[in-house]
Amino acid sequence: MPSRETACLRARLSIVLLLTAALTAATNQEATFIGARAKYWAYNQVARPNVPPVSDPFVRTPIDAFILHALRQKNLAPSPPLDRIQLIRRVTYDLTGLPPGPEEVTAFVKDNSPAAYENVVDRLIAAPHYGERWASKWLDVVRYADTNGFELDADRPHAWRYRDYVIDAFNRDKPYDRFVQEQIAGDEMFPGNKEALIATGYLRAGSEHVVSGNIDPEVSRQEVLTEIATNVAQAFLGMTVNCARCHNHKFDPILQADFYRLQAVFAGAKGKEVEISTPEEKVAWEAANQAYIARIEPIVVALKALAHPYEEKIAEERKANLAPKLLEALNTPKVKRTPEQQRDASNAEAQINPSWDEVFAAMSPEDKATRAKLREQLHATQMTAPDPLPTAYAFVDTAEPAPQSYVLRLGDPHSRLDPVDPAVPLVIQAGYEIPVAPAARRTAFANWLASTKNPLTARVMVNRIWQFRTGYGLVRTPNDFGIMGDKPESHALLDWLAAEFMARGWSVKALDRMIVTSSVYRQSSVPDAAKAKIDPDNRLLWRMNRKRFDAEMIRDASLSVAGTLNPQIGGRPVRIPIEPEVYNLIFTENERDGLWPVNPDKNVQNRRAIYLYNKRSVRLPLLSAFDQPDDITSCPVRPVSTHALQALSLFNSGYMQEVSQSFATRLEKACGRDRNCTIDTAWRLALSRAPRKPEMQLARKFFSSGGTLPDFCLALFNRNEFVYVP
Amino acid sequence: MYRNLTRRDVLVRAANGFGSIALASLLDLPASATQRVNPLAAKPPQLPAKAKSVIFLFMVGAPSQVDTFDPKPALEKYDGQPLPASYGTVVSQFTKGDTPLLRSPWKFKKYGQCGREVSSLFPHIAECVDDLCFVRSFYTDSTVHAPAMYQVNTGRILMGYPSMGSWITYGLGSESENLPAYVVMPQPEGTPEGGTPCWGAGFLPAVYQGTVFRSGASPILNLRPPEGMTRDRQRRTLDFLQKMNEMDTLDSDTDMAARISSYELAFRMQSYAPEAVDLARETEATRRLYGLDQKRTSEFGTRCLLARRLVERGVRFIQLYSGGGPVSMQWDAHKDLVGNHEKMCGMTDLPVAGLLKDLKQRGLLETTLVIWGAEFGRLPMSQGGDGRDHNPHGFTMWFAGGGVKPGAIVGETDEMGLRGVGARYSMRDFHATILQLVGLDQNRLWFLHNGRNEKLTDFGGSVIAEMLA
Repeated sequence: MPSRETACLRARLSIVLLLTAALTAATNQEATFIGARAKYWAYNQVARPNVPPVSDPFVRTPIDAFILHALRQKNLAPSPPLDRIQLIRRVTYDLTGLPPGPEEVTAFVKDNSPAAYENVVDRLIAAPHYGERWASKWLDVVRYADTNGFELDADRPHAWRYRDYVIDAFNRDKPYDRFVQEQIAGDEMFPGNKEALIATGYLRAGSEHVVSGNIDPEVSRQEVLTEIATNVAQAFLGMTVNCARCHNHKFDPILQADFYRLQAVFAGAKGKEVEISTPEEKVAWEAANQAYIARIEPIVVALKALAHPYEEKIAEERKANLAPKLLEALNTPKVKRTPEQQRDASNAEAQINPSWDEVFAAMSPEDKATRAKLREQLHATQMTAPDPLPTAYAFVDTAEPAPQSYVLRLGDPHSRLDPVDPAVPLVIQAGYEIPVAPAARRTAFANWLASTKNPLTARVMVNRIWQFRTGYGLVRTPNDFGIMGDKPESHALLDWLAAEFMARGWSVKALDRMIVTSSVYRQSSVPDAAKAKIDPDNRLLWRMNRKRFDAEMIRDASLSVAGTLNPQIGGRPVRIPIEPEVYNLIFTENERDGLWPVNPDKNVQNRRAIYLYNKRSVRLPLLSAFDQPDDITSCPVRPVSTHALQALSLFNSGYMQEVSQSFATRLEKACGRDRNCTIDTAWRLALSRAPRKPEMQLARKFFSSGGTLPDFCLALFNRNEFVYVP
Repeated sequence: MYRNLTRRDVLVRAANGFGSIALASLLDLPASATQRVNPLAAKPPQLPAKAKSVIFLFMVGAPSQVDTFDPKPALEKYDGQPLPASYGTVVSQFTKGDTPLLRSPWKFKKYGQCGREVSSLFPHIAECVDDLCFVRSFYTDSTVHAPAMYQVNTGRILMGYPSMGSWITYGLGSESENLPAYVVMPQPEGTPEGGTPCWGAGFLPAVYQGTVFRSGASPILNLRPPEGMTRDRQRRTLDFLQKMNEMDTLDSDTDMAARISSYELAFRMQSYAPEAVDLARETEATRRLYGLDQKRTSEFGTRCLLARRLVERGVRFIQLYSGGGPVSMQWDAHKDLVGNHEKMCGMTDLPVAGLLKDLKQRGLLETTLVIWGAEFGRLPMSQGGDGRDHNPHGFTMWFAGGGVKPGAIVGETDEMGLRGVGARYSMRDFHATILQLVGLDQNRLWFLHNGRNEKLTDFGGSVIAEMLA
């Protein structure tokens, strides 16, 4: 703490100086600010290092050579390989987020062919669940959600197409350079390509403050651009450019002007809903919508008619309390009102018109009952609304030329300093040309990002892949490759991976395959006190890291084990039932009913967690208890916390009761009242293995002392072994 | 180092509940080990602490300072007239500064030995003025509820930063192992505009986020086993689970041991939490003190009484929201200022005063910091003739106990009560002061997130020295 703190204080003292530097953005001053820091490792081009010449049966892949070489230098040896059952469990969870089926485990254990494991890996990488698993990781980084955030937290009905785009991109092994280009500038670079248009939804994934009243449009625009620039730099470049919004970066050679130059790349474009339906879809939708309006209109009219007399009555009563001047204005015919009377009349109306709850309070019991029925009908009918027309939640160039961008004093849109044009951070590539013409800025920037010459793009992504598979990045701060970030444990391995990634056409699947087939990955994760003395944080990977399930995996795996998971891929987000306590957290000033419409079909509800409606201000308790991020800022590494509220959630929640009951039903179907069969089957489904003798005894004792089958299932779902990837 | 801590130690410590903290120090465990077992374990303060607990009474929608604690006689004089041009333009959320000034419909009177003026809206809180420290020149940076609420709670107008309660529990842990460290009690009619991010942990681990507490038998979500699950049956299932867990947990494996102990904590919470919210043992006098016997005050009174009970049980940070849901259940008096404030004050005046008096008579006020405030104040000009729009430029909060100077007034607003003049205080100053009172140094309480050492006070606030006793 002290050293960083001192640095922090020192930086604050020099803030005034740095600010002055930013004000006068002359090239040589910028160069002076960057200085020798331009030579920092992360800004140098990736050079493919030689694979260490290590000869050992452990070396299956070049990765193993790098790791073994480093281990030997510290007199460390790798851990023994994981047994086959645990290995297939690990790799299946890692690659798909779901458990292996018992028959898959058996087949693998029995398969004596030399490529048995590689075949499993190939099968998993080809499975559609591979993309879902990857997407959950990527969506953390880009802080994707289905709502705007802030008080109204309104629905984004078309945002999910971007989520599906991401799943599909990983499933089809879209080359990462293309993946980057599409998200940054899909509309410009691939005109007419719906998929690329949807990809620009990335630029709108962050929260956006949408509210009524006197909102300063320039402030709102700045907020949008800040969100974009911040995330683009963190997600693709591992640069904390956001620190330079108010002043030159305190630690990294990033100028305040760099932040606004990066913003300028996006300044000519705006969020827009772009319809992507076919003519046939449109015709069908219009018919369906007409029918829907015909269904819902009478209910809306009836509700209004019911409230109207009460509204009139209250307003009439309140007229008596109006100031005479206001009353007079109100009673003056509209056309004859003076300007002052116009204001007075509108004040008078505001004073006398009741709000919905006042009207409701005044209603007779009979009318309240009628109203309740009507509202129920209203919500039931709303559930039958046709899906909206296919639309891309996109970010596209506007017709007008981009407004001039400026460096802003402390980020204040009304304190403009020097004008700036779009450019990439100077420290990486001063002089890279980004045209000022509107429809070309993002294209040029995307091409720069997606270039093999960019020192960061490949490094940052291979680090994420490594992190995803081994638990930690080689750089343990995946969004920050800067001076305050972590130093890579093995710079050579990181660079070798980056070079290999690009050489293999930016194929995520190729890299994934190499990592999970390595001996390093196949090691046991059992701790070893002697080795931990030398490398307590396991930075050298003398064992594989054990990983607690991500929140989503707890749900997906339990549904899968219970046999009730609906494996459908993609589509509109799904709301699942929420506890009344959670429902109460939905903010509205309007009526509190119908805020969370749930499709009662269990099969619809039993989708994977990635498809659950993701509302920024109302989190699902089971998922947030297990560290699902809030999707407000980019989350490169999820914390893994352990606390009592998790236990309450996993032991007492309605969902866990339900899924335990489903699991019990599945076991009953398979085994009837045969307890040995029940225990054996449960173990194989939930833990991929047969019960050991003491476990068998323990389980039998549980039943004989009166334990029920659903409780037995609940206990298994709560078990440490169940919620950890071995 | 933590590897010296074995699973058995962990279980012993977990079983010892409150005693575990002392035991941990006997064993000379490094902080990292204690944190792995229980991330909410109490930690020593960084500075001498004046307050052990904080109760933050948040008035959702924003009460009007010129009608409550900041009297402005000039408004009598200028009532109905436009704001003098010298005040410049004032754009609020719905008005643009061109509406006439509006005098306060309520009379102010001097109270207590300190002679502080309080309007007739708060006759009971007025009796406590000698214990209160008023700061009249706070400002926030947004005229919109949610961003301003985020700023008061998290220091930023954006959503997604850790709230003050999260920072404090992150810094100090909890004195209570059987209850959540940070408890939030929203208005039953609905959540405030800012919603859950007002008490969110942002990028801090989720364990530091506020836990919503309700009155009634099951104050915490999923606290109670589901319908039909008896305690015996639950215990049997838990025993089965714990035995399985112990079978495959190595003695050196603290991560797994932490999970095992979290279930025991949860099980204990099931019995402690309902006890904590059970008001049956409170005397009639106490119940009356909080207004539990009156329809108008019983709801907020119950929450205030719960707050005291939680403080007694070592809960670190408690936040009560008065107001939420429909506009008529918020302090957001855009119209009918009189009706709105009479109603909201009527619901809270007696209970808040009851809380202050009760804490004091039990000797708890000294170590409990009570904060009363909102996301902003209201304009001295009218809206729609009989209401007031938002005013983030200068508004009042008050403090009691926990090391603040009783009977003090800090800062002031201009003649109209529009803006702070002289020393104006930001939310960074507000947070820096509160952190100091609870024994935390704003510059030493940080968390590395996406390349920044994030702090509650961002680039730093100034402790408001005049507030300190």
